[in-house]
Parts: sequence; structure tokens; C-alpha cells
Amino acid sequence: MTGFHSLLADCVDIGLILLNREGRICLWNRWIEQRSGLDAVRVAQLPLAEAFGAPIDPRLALVIRETLDFGWSARLSHALHPMPLPLFPPGSKQDERVKQAIDVIPVDVDGVRHCLLQIRDVTETVRREALLKQQARQLRSDLQRLSRAQVELQHSEMRFRELARQAPAGLFEADSHARCTFLNERCEQILGRSLPEVTDTPWLDLLPPGEQLRVRDSWRLAVASATRFAEEFIFIHPNDGSRRRMRAEAGPLRDELGRISGFIGTMVDVTEFHERATLNEFRANHDSLTALLNRDRFDRHLCAAITGAAESGERVAVLFIDLDDFKQINDTHGHQAGDAVLKTIASRLRRTLRNEDRVARYGGDEFAVLLNGAHDRRALDGVITKITRVVALPINLGHCHVRICCSIGLAIYPDHGRDPATLLTHSDKSMYSAKRRHNDPQR
Amino acid sequence: MHTFSDLELDALTEAFNLSLGEAAATFSAIVHEEIELSVPAIEILSRDALTERLTRGRPDSGNDRLCRINQRFNAADGFQTDALLLFPEHGSLEIVRRMLGDDTPVQHITELEQDALAEIGNIIINSCMASLANLFGTEIIGSLPSVQSRSAATLLDDRDADSVILVARISMNMAAHNLSGFVLFIMDVPSITSFMAQIRRLFRLPGHDDPPPAP
Repeated sequence: MTGFHSLLADCVDIGLILLNREGRICLWNRWIEQRSGLDAVRVAQLPLAEAFGAPIDPRLALVIRETLDFGWSARLSHALHPMPLPLFPPGSKQDERVKQAIDVIPVDVDGVRHCLLQIRDVTETVRREALLKQQARQLRSDLQRLSRAQVELQHSEMRFRELARQAPAGLFEADSHARCTFLNERCEQILGRSLPEVTDTPWLDLLPPGEQLRVRDSWRLAVASATRFAEEFIFIHPNDGSRRRMRAEAGPLRDELGRISGFIGTMVDVTEFHERATLNEFRANHDSLTALLNRDRFDRHLCAAITGAAESGERVAVLFIDLDDFKQINDTHGHQAGDAVLKTIASRLRRTLRNEDRVARYGGDEFAVLLNGAHDRRALDGVITKITRVVALPINLGHCHVRICCSIGLAIYPDHGRDPATLLTHSDKSMYSAKRRHNDPQR
Repeated sequence: MHTFSDLELDALTEAFNLSLGEAAATFSAIVHEEIELSVPAIEILSRDALTERLTRGRPDSGNDRLCRINQRFNAADGFQTDALLLFPEHGSLEIVRRMLGDDTPVQHITELEQDALAEIGNIIINSCMASLANLFGTEIIGSLPSVQSRSAATLLDDRDADSVILVARISMNMAAHNLSGFVLFIMDVPSITSFMAQIRRLFRLPGHDDPPPAP
């Protein structure tokens, strides 16, 4: 090789080895010297394997021969032949070969075919691609995890939607300003509005003005203290104007920073529940035929009245009313007629007495009356006379009129007793005395 | 359009088949795994007919990219040819990664994989060219392979419309992967004339200059 060619070969950043027709080295550039640790002068005219002092990759030997004999070119990729030649990074301890890619091409030197080996150092490329692939694997695994999480999320969302759809209670989600972000079908029915209709309106604004202030205060308190919200309120249904009683309960939702982002909860129409509870309470305290207080309730009122009177020095009167010959009406006209008589008498007593007076059906055909503030005996006598008259008015049974009289006994706290039992006994006795007078006017 | 007679086609097929067997053996030695190269099917087509063949029946083939490995050859007696190996990009990536024992899901071919693909093409093309050189008893000097990835529709845009192309369809099987590709020899008109003359002379087919053999 000319000096110029050698100089040029030493300047390139690639390994160049030129082999003559016999496969002997006639160019060995500086790049190769630095990585093989072998001087160009020392290896000149040696076959490749001899120069390296070790067998070289058999495929490389084959393609060198094909190039020299047939003029073919060949590429030995790093992927299929990672390190065909014993070359090492310059200045290293020769423990790891440079990763290589080799091109083998025929070249014509003065009319004689030679074989040129161009060796590239692909160590950096290999490192970069390994990194790229590692990142790709990481990405794939992240993606798989994400897809799994997404599928799980979809399932749980689906489960929630289905549960929400089937739930008998109204479910709602609202932001901290009470603007709804989710309503299930039941909740839309209860409120009489669809979600898009109320999205921008706090649901508290849907309440009647009289309820808004109280419920809003309670909502604000729940937001401020991050506690559960629970309120009952009256709601006027927009479709039929019916007055409903609702119960809303909700728990706080937090955002990723732990701040209150809203509430999720239930909205239940408790109107019927309340009506039933009121009815049950009424039934427990009232006689089912006449709707007057029952005996139990009357006794409790009497106790309370005595206690109150003992403290205030008031007087309390108890009247015991028994219908005379009621059994005869039952026997003559039947039980339905008897019931009609009882209902009529109860209604007359109720009308005759003041609102604050207590009237009870005490037994079969017995009534009791509790009068507070009974100072005036004459006034009491007046009440007794009024009752006697109103009871004695004819009662229309449909097919006939009947008349019935009553006997009334009176007991006054504290004159006739200081406890309910004594007072009741006294008024009972007094009633029987009156009855005897009715039966035997001579006495 | 030049055509081959059945006799010429049979002769070429046999020649390619022998050398593809060599190529398969070379691969198997490199990757220590059985690799099969099919018996090639040979025909001559124009550039446009080949493009139509590559895109036919695949409406989305415009987006289906092909890998093209290209080498240029110069024969001592005057004909020149570009030898091309075409594989679907996706399938060839799969085969290369399979050879490298790497299933990393990088969407595009990397530099090192492209180099490996160049070597695979190099082995196949060199073996095909070797059979031609052997047949013709001439020396054919070859360049290094280059790799490109293109859509089937634009694959041959850099060739003249009247180019004549000798097409050998081959397929490569490796561990349940099956990859079908084409080896193309693209020649200008003087080259194909010279090439056909060589074939006729070689097989002593009608039209060659030598007298027929004595019965």
C-alpha cells in the first residue's frame, strides 16, 4: 500500500483490514491496531487467524473466501455474529470484546482482487437498543397493568351502575355546593327531575323556602366538619304538588389531596313511614271505635295533671260518665247500633268540652273526662248539666231514633283524693250514686 | 415482453433450488435452528405487473410496508442486475426477532435488527446469484446489501416502467413462523437480452447459436 493510502486508512473511525488474493494482511489501520493491540508491521503478510493468534469466526472465514474467489460482498451483522474478531476497547484490560458488525467487500488493487474488511464498533448502538428494549418491556408491562386496572374499573363501574339502577333508595352524588353530579333513576323519580335539569342547581334550592335555611345550615356544617349529613325535610313534588317527607343521608368524598370534594348518599321518601308511625301512635293512645283517648292514655294524662296541679296549686276534676241502659240498645238494635251510639256520644262529648279537656272511652259504655283548672264548682255543675243534656239528645240510627241517658260521677283533686286511683274510685262511686238516683228518683 | 419457455423455467427453478438449500443450511448453522427455504416459483414480469401483484387483493396494502433488501451485481460478460429480496415488514421483524431470541415489542425495526435483516437478505441473494454465476460459468461481482422499508405500491417507483424483472417467489419457514417473500432480479433491456441468450445457450434450447447436440 502506498503511504498515502495508509495515512488515509489511519484517519477513519472504522476498522480496515485488506487481505490480498492469498488472504494475507496487506493493510491494518490504526483503528485495528488500537483495538487488537497488534502493530501493523508485526501482522503484515500474515493470514488473519495467525495474526490474531486465535481461530476467527468460521462464517467470517467463509465469506472472506467467497469474496476473494467469487467477488461477492457480505455483511456480518452484530445480531447474528456478536464479536467475530478478538478486538477490545482501546486501553481496556482485554476482558470484553468490542461488539462488531463487519462488511466484507471485494476491491480491485492493481487489477488483482483483494478483500476489504470494514469493522464497525456497535457497542454503543447495542447499549442504546438494549435500553430501548428494556424501556419497551417496561412500557408493555405498565400498559398491561393499566389495561387490567381499566378492565377492573369498568367492571366495578358496571356493578355500581347496575346496583344504582336496581336500588330501591334514591342515590345521589353532589359537589360541596350541593350541585348534583349523579342521580340514579329512583332519585330522579323522587325529585321529579332528571340530572341535566338539576346539574347547575344546588339540590337544596329544590326544597320549600321554609325548609331551605335549616337544611342548608346542616349541609354547610357537614362540609365544614367533613362529617355525615343527615336531615329530614318536607319536599313538594313538582309533578303532582304532593307534600312529601324526605330523608337524605350522605357521607363526604375526598379528592386526591384529601379535601372534601362532595358527598355521596341516599335520598328516601319517608312520607308513608311517617304516616304509618303517626297512625300507630294514634292507635296506641286512642280507642279505635270512638277515636277518644283510651284508658291507658287517660290515666297517664291524669297522673301528669295531678303532678302539675300539686306544683301549681290548681284543682283538677275527673268526671266518670256511664250510659244508662246501653245494654238494652245493643239487645234491641244490635251491636252496630250500639257502636253508632257510642260514636255519637263520643263526638258530642268532644264538641261539648274545651280543646284542652281530655275525654276518654274508659270501658264498654263508660267515658272519663279530665278538666284542668276546676276552681269553680258551679262551672263544674254547668259542665255536668251540659253533658247530661247533650247525651240525652235523640240519636238517629237510620231506621229509628233512640235516646239514652247517662250518670255522671265527680271527683276533685285534692278534695276527694291526691292520687289517680283514689280520684277514680271516688268518681266511680259518685257515678253509681247518681245512677241509683236516676233509677229511683224518690231517693 | 420476454418470456421463458417451460424448459427454461424448469432449469432456472432447479438451479435456484440447489443454491437456496445452501442458504438454508447457512442460516441453520448461524441460529442453530432448522430453517426451510421453499422451492422457488419463477416468472418474468414488468415493473407495473409486479407492483399490481404485490398489492392485489389487499385493499390496505398501501399501508402494509415491505422490507426491501437490495444488492447490485455486475457480471463479467456485460449484464448488470439489481437483486432485491422483499418481505412483509411485520413478518420479517418477527423472524429476525425469533432468530435473535428477542420478543421485545418495539414497533419499528431497530438499527441492529436492520443489519441482521441485511445479512439474511445477503445470504439468500448471494446464494441465488451463485447459482446464476455457476450456470453461466461467469463471475458476478456483488455490492453490499442495503435495507429499505416501503409500502408495496411505491416499492419499485425508483425503477423504469419498462424494467424487466425476473421474479423468484420463495418462502421461509422457521419454528412455526412462515414468511413468504420474493427474490427479484431487475435488469435493463440489454441485460435481459444477454441473460436470455446465456440461458438458451446454457440449456441448448432452440434459438441459441450452437448446433443442437447429435442424437
